[in-house]
Amino acid sequence: MAVLTAAGRRATQGAGRGGRTTRGSGRRATRVPPAVLAFVLLPLLAEGFFVFWPALQGFYLSLTKWDGVSAPQFIGLGNYREMIHDTVFHTAMLDTVLWLALFGGLSALLGLGAALLLQQERRGVGFYRAALFLPVVFSLTATALVWQAMYQPDGLINKTMSGLGLGSLTHPWLADQDTALYAVIVPALWRQVGYVMVLYLAGLKGIDPALYEAAKVDGATMWQQFRHITLPQLRSVNAVVLSVIIIDSLRSFDVVWALTHGGPYHSSELLSTYMYSTAFQSLRLGYGSALAVVIFVLAFGVIASYLVRAFKEAD
Amino acid sequence: MSTAPISPTGRRQFLAGAGAIGAAALMSGCVTSSSSDAGSTGQSSGGSVTLQSNLSSPQAKTAMEDLAAAYNKRGGAKAELNTVASETFRTQLPTYLTSANPPDLLTWYPGSVADAYAKKGLLLDVSDIWTKGELAGYPDALKKLCSDSSGAKVFVPASYYWWGMFYKKSNFAKWGVREPRTWDDFIALCRTLKSKGVAPIGLGAGGDTAWVASAWFDYLDIRINGAQYHRDLLAGRHSFDDPQVHKVFDKWAEVLPYFDPNGTALAFQDATTAMLNNRTGMMLIGTFFADAAPKDQLDDIDFFQFPIIDPSVPVAEEGPTDGYFASAHTAHKQQTLDLMSYLATAEAQEIYLKGSSGTSLPTNPKAKDSGTPLVKKGRALIEGAADVTQFFNRDSSDALQPTADTALTKFLAKPKEINSILTAWQRDAQKIWSQ
Repeated sequence: MAVLTAAGRRATQGAGRGGRTTRGSGRRATRVPPAVLAFVLLPLLAEGFFVFWPALQGFYLSLTKWDGVSAPQFIGLGNYREMIHDTVFHTAMLDTVLWLALFGGLSALLGLGAALLLQQERRGVGFYRAALFLPVVFSLTATALVWQAMYQPDGLINKTMSGLGLGSLTHPWLADQDTALYAVIVPALWRQVGYVMVLYLAGLKGIDPALYEAAKVDGATMWQQFRHITLPQLRSVNAVVLSVIIIDSLRSFDVVWALTHGGPYHSSELLSTYMYSTAFQSLRLGYGSALAVVIFVLAFGVIASYLVRAFKEAD
Repeated sequence: MSTAPISPTGRRQFLAGAGAIGAAALMSGCVTSSSSDAGSTGQSSGGSVTLQSNLSSPQAKTAMEDLAAAYNKRGGAKAELNTVASETFRTQLPTYLTSANPPDLLTWYPGSVADAYAKKGLLLDVSDIWTKGELAGYPDALKKLCSDSSGAKVFVPASYYWWGMFYKKSNFAKWGVREPRTWDDFIALCRTLKSKGVAPIGLGAGGDTAWVASAWFDYLDIRINGAQYHRDLLAGRHSFDDPQVHKVFDKWAEVLPYFDPNGTALAFQDATTAMLNNRTGMMLIGTFFADAAPKDQLDDIDFFQFPIIDPSVPVAEEGPTDGYFASAHTAHKQQTLDLMSYLATAEAQEIYLKGSSGTSLPTNPKAKDSGTPLVKKGRALIEGAADVTQFFNRDSSDALQPTADTALTKFLAKPKEINSILTAWQRDAQKIWSQ
């Protein structure tokens, strides 16, 4: 669809310019061929119908009280006012920030680390790359089921710990409010690291080896090479990684839902799981929509401010 | 044009962040349109009746398959069984009922929970089939239970079961203990079991089945405050931070030290296994657990009535009824009604009992139960009760259940914070009631 719109845009631009310059010489140049118009309008229509219209409707729903069946009842900003005093919302917000920092930060660091370790072409390195990337291929829900079995009170993790003499540390990991959120982050990280690693590997491949050679000639240490060549050269990849991490953090849902449902008593609740349970379990779709709007604003705000800055720097 | 580079990302954001509101909005479109035109065009014939079933444990699933096969063999309308994992079914039910193309017939529960859906116009009025055939001979209590608040019948019951404190006979013999009658006996029993190194009470409120903890709340409430107070409380006529509700949790706190520490970490299926493997002494559970238990263990299983706390309170028991309701927007109304009448017959209910673990009781007065000592004892328990409640969500609504799950799991972890837990519960429940 992106290609189509781009083509359409170029066509309209061309047509516009033609119209301005050749006023007297004939109308043929100003006429947009119907096929081109269709290329612009159809995707726009499809996008409008499937994306913008529902999104607008969702925003409208966030101003209503609605149980999903009877007619929505307009209550203005009531849902947003409720959020201010909703302690569960505060927990979910905090957990989401924590999730963004831990899941996002660690996956970027570990992904970069893995990429640096595995960038050299050595024998067997392909195996390790594949092994790290493999979790990305699995469905996160299936992954979660495996981890759930491992976290069970008599599961693999507790069994291993008692086997190692750490029996006193065994724990119902997912059922304890102090460990639930972290226990959920681990499987999510396990998957994300492989993905970020591949992005960084591609970035590292693009760095001109001559830069390193020159640095070596000048007697730069490994750290200096990393600090002054690798990091600056990875700037464009960093932009991609950052967007991916923020988007993935804010939409993290499946793994949390599959492992804890946001529980026990909301201690691992993210904005996304809270939105889902309010909307589809408590059937408070108005409030659920308001939560969705908050998620949207957060994601859009972070990404937009980043992109604006990135483009300024590029100019 | 200057915004062009942003727009693809913006669009992705819409999809990622606001995907759900989009879905909700689309759903709203579907709901409003379907409710208006499905009624008029929904009489098309042909195609089979879809029966969406939540009976997903192995034995119950086979029994449902037998039942559908038996119905299809009779000629006439055909049924197509679609079994969904029970926890998925529970969370998706509102979505099924409000979708534009709902399943024709669904397994679920009568009483308040069905009435909540009926009030929203989602359930088919099946009063007609209650006037003829075997349904006409059903007892009045069931007729009342299957009616909505406007008096129309919206439900066809198939079976009911009971809750009790289940244990292994061989274990109780080995430990030299007997079934308790009163609350004091019960505490003494717990103390004995604990001294023998067994976790006395298994729970099974972890994983996907946090709702199991509500059985404890229900039973303590109907033993202390009575069944009518319990129903009123769930209907929003009392508050969860009333002193009466505090009394319930005071009693619960007396036995909390005897609960299995993994109670909120294991789902009820795993908790059952723990009991069958002698790691816990007993557990408060409904007979449905037997559908997932090995059949050869069933002979060793027995149960006792939840202990009496206040002898002056009329004894009520939880006797949840299971059965079927049909979607108001079904496209196969006649066939669905035909299938529903069949499911109410003694023949159909006996086929189901034969295929499943056979620990539930048929609702058809003429149908034979499986006749085992366990089932006889269960039938006597329910028939001897002064009042019968259904279960937390069945006596209120599916939307209220998550508020209980949160409050009860928090109480199990932090019993000292009961005041703030009950205040929060009342606040959450109020949001559901005012919906």
